[in-house]
Amino acid sequence: MSKRVGIVGAGVTPFKGRWVEKTYYELAQMATREAVRDAGISIQDIDAVFYGIYNDIFERAAIPEHALHGLLGMQNKFGIRITTGGATGAYTISAAHAYLSAGRFRTALVLGVEKATDCFDFSSMSATPEVIKSIGWSGDSFFEQPIGWSASDSYAEVVLAYMDEHPGDLKPEITAQISSLLSQQVKTNRYAQRQFDQVTPEEVMNSRMVVYPFKELEICVYTEGAAALILAEEETARAISKASGKPVVWITGVGEANEHSFAGKNQKIMSRIMSDYYASRRAYEMAGIKDPTESIQVIELHDAFVHQLEISMAEFGLVPLGRADSLIEDGLMLEGGKYLVNPCGGLIYCGHAVGASNIMSAWSARNELIKRGLHTALVHGTGSTVAQYTVCLILEHE
Amino acid sequence: MSEKVIPLKYIPDKGSYVENIDGKEYLISNDAMYTFYRRSKGEFSPFFLAIRDEKRLLGCRCKSCGIVRVPPFLTHCPDCNFSPTELIEVGQTGALISTPPITYFATSLFQDMAPYGRGRVVFDGADTAISINLYTTTGILRPGILKKGTRVKLVFRDKRIGEMTDIFCVPEGELTKEQVEKKGLQESDINWESPVEPGLPDATDADIEHFKRLFDEIVAIVDEMNRNDRAKKDILGWRRKILVKTKGGEFSIIIDDGNIQAVPEKVDSPDFVMVSEDPKTLLNGLAYRGAITDSVIDGRLWISKNKEFNTIFKLDRMARSVARSKKKRSNL
Repeated sequence: MSKRVGIVGAGVTPFKGRWVEKTYYELAQMATREAVRDAGISIQDIDAVFYGIYNDIFERAAIPEHALHGLLGMQNKFGIRITTGGATGAYTISAAHAYLSAGRFRTALVLGVEKATDCFDFSSMSATPEVIKSIGWSGDSFFEQPIGWSASDSYAEVVLAYMDEHPGDLKPEITAQISSLLSQQVKTNRYAQRQFDQVTPEEVMNSRMVVYPFKELEICVYTEGAAALILAEEETARAISKASGKPVVWITGVGEANEHSFAGKNQKIMSRIMSDYYASRRAYEMAGIKDPTESIQVIELHDAFVHQLEISMAEFGLVPLGRADSLIEDGLMLEGGKYLVNPCGGLIYCGHAVGASNIMSAWSARNELIKRGLHTALVHGTGSTVAQYTVCLILEHE
Repeated sequence: MSEKVIPLKYIPDKGSYVENIDGKEYLISNDAMYTFYRRSKGEFSPFFLAIRDEKRLLGCRCKSCGIVRVPPFLTHCPDCNFSPTELIEVGQTGALISTPPITYFATSLFQDMAPYGRGRVVFDGADTAISINLYTTTGILRPGILKKGTRVKLVFRDKRIGEMTDIFCVPEGELTKEQVEKKGLQESDINWESPVEPGLPDATDADIEHFKRLFDEIVAIVDEMNRNDRAKKDILGWRRKILVKTKGGEFSIIIDDGNIQAVPEKVDSPDFVMVSEDPKTLLNGLAYRGAITDSVIDGRLWISKNKEFNTIFKLDRMARSVARSKKKRSNL
């Protein structure tokens, strides 16, 4: 019989474009200190650490987590690193959930941390081209890396294929409105990289084309930072919650799927994000959700790109495929609408510190459920080439 | 000197500097993480050798289900409980399975190649798509030229090394029937439209007046950039002399390591030339009313070197930096 698992503490560092003042050792410890304090426990009470760190190149070290273990006070205990592209953070929560659910541990620290902008391109004297080059080593190395594969162009492939099938959806004025809306929502997130970067839909429309069809203000930004959760099995969770006075937010559903990397017959269907479809359905089934449009109130969605946010919402079954623009046109994600989508500002405005991002999303979803007295949230991570990987988590607040 | 695996321009000198934040000093060092390889192409060797030496495109066919995969990823089919596959040759024309993206802002490795398309083509006789570079023979690749279903032709580089960069595709519609039918078509078999500086019509007195007025506005905006720390940071370490030609007159923009200037003189030996009939196109971009990048993409502004998209991005970024600073002030 598997055990119930809940979140009893969480913490994040400020998300910043560049943390000159801190290495990833200190960022990792900062988030951990916050999470442990939030749970009202000691680091000695933690049985295991699950590290979410995406990219060795960003940290400039293979096995980047090894130094963290002792520096966090976790020597001689269990530690494992998860790395699954953009979905690293969500997969890290999924892994911790599985170990706790199986009864291996009573408590676990889920810790995501990432540097990025230590990378620097001396030919253009700017960081971004080198940051995206470092991510570019993630593409297929025999056929796709040498011809300019990038995270943006591989997600753009999926978005354009969706637009081929649904030419009336993902209208530029709607993606611009969504980006503008997220820039308003980020105002209340004091940890966000772009807390004060509010943009109008017109500014989004006017922003430069980076990779067709993505404009600069429709893309997540590179971020340095860390995020941590304290997870516990049911009995321990209730005891910690009783002592801290903070409610447990239960992880009642977990679903994952990884698609084929390449397209064509029996392979990836380019116009779909089937990983989003399968992962969400698996999470709903585990949580006993029959109709997600009735159950889910808060969505912390991995918005690598606004267009992909829209497609993901459709793949989750929250809006119809081909009618994702109803998020705005029918007011579904507008203030007072049916869904609260990315109240933290999402990865576009809060920032994308890859391994930490989905953990930050879970931190935000937990905060929103408690603060607003809501019941059910969906937390999402997407990653790898052509939106290949997805993890969906259902969080419930009693 | 023979070509190096890493071009010298990417390699910084040894060194370090101190950055001051809130009165504290932080040490930052130039560094690299590098590994060299003698990397085997293994079971893909026949595919790459066929491209390099024979200008042929190979796939693999499952002996059970008959599915033809290009490139030939597998010696055994995962859909048929690992039944063996065999190498076969496929056609050199095909169709795009979906509309391809176009990269304008590339990673540091591909900045000299941008703008480029990368799409997935199902070649005639194949069932799966291969990821491949896409170009047009007509200049800068713009949205609309290549779409889902567009028929494309495989083209081989004249000099081939056994990599995916040895091949790319162009739309069949831009080629003659003979070129489309030719097996092993090479890049030198095609007429590439060369970048010719667009001519400008003769200026009227009104055009000259218009230019003078707008040039003053450009100078004012550039001066504002020069007083903005965030914008200055965008061009740290960057040096470019740009000659700008418009219908009503010419001027220069000089970027010099954190400083930018617009001057009425025509600069000597510019790094590149911008041509725009109406100076308002550039003015709007600098004033954050529409991106300069997009003006280049849609043809309203011509640049003499595609790799100077890099500099165009920096100008767009400076415009945004000034706008962000203004907003931040109004928020405080």
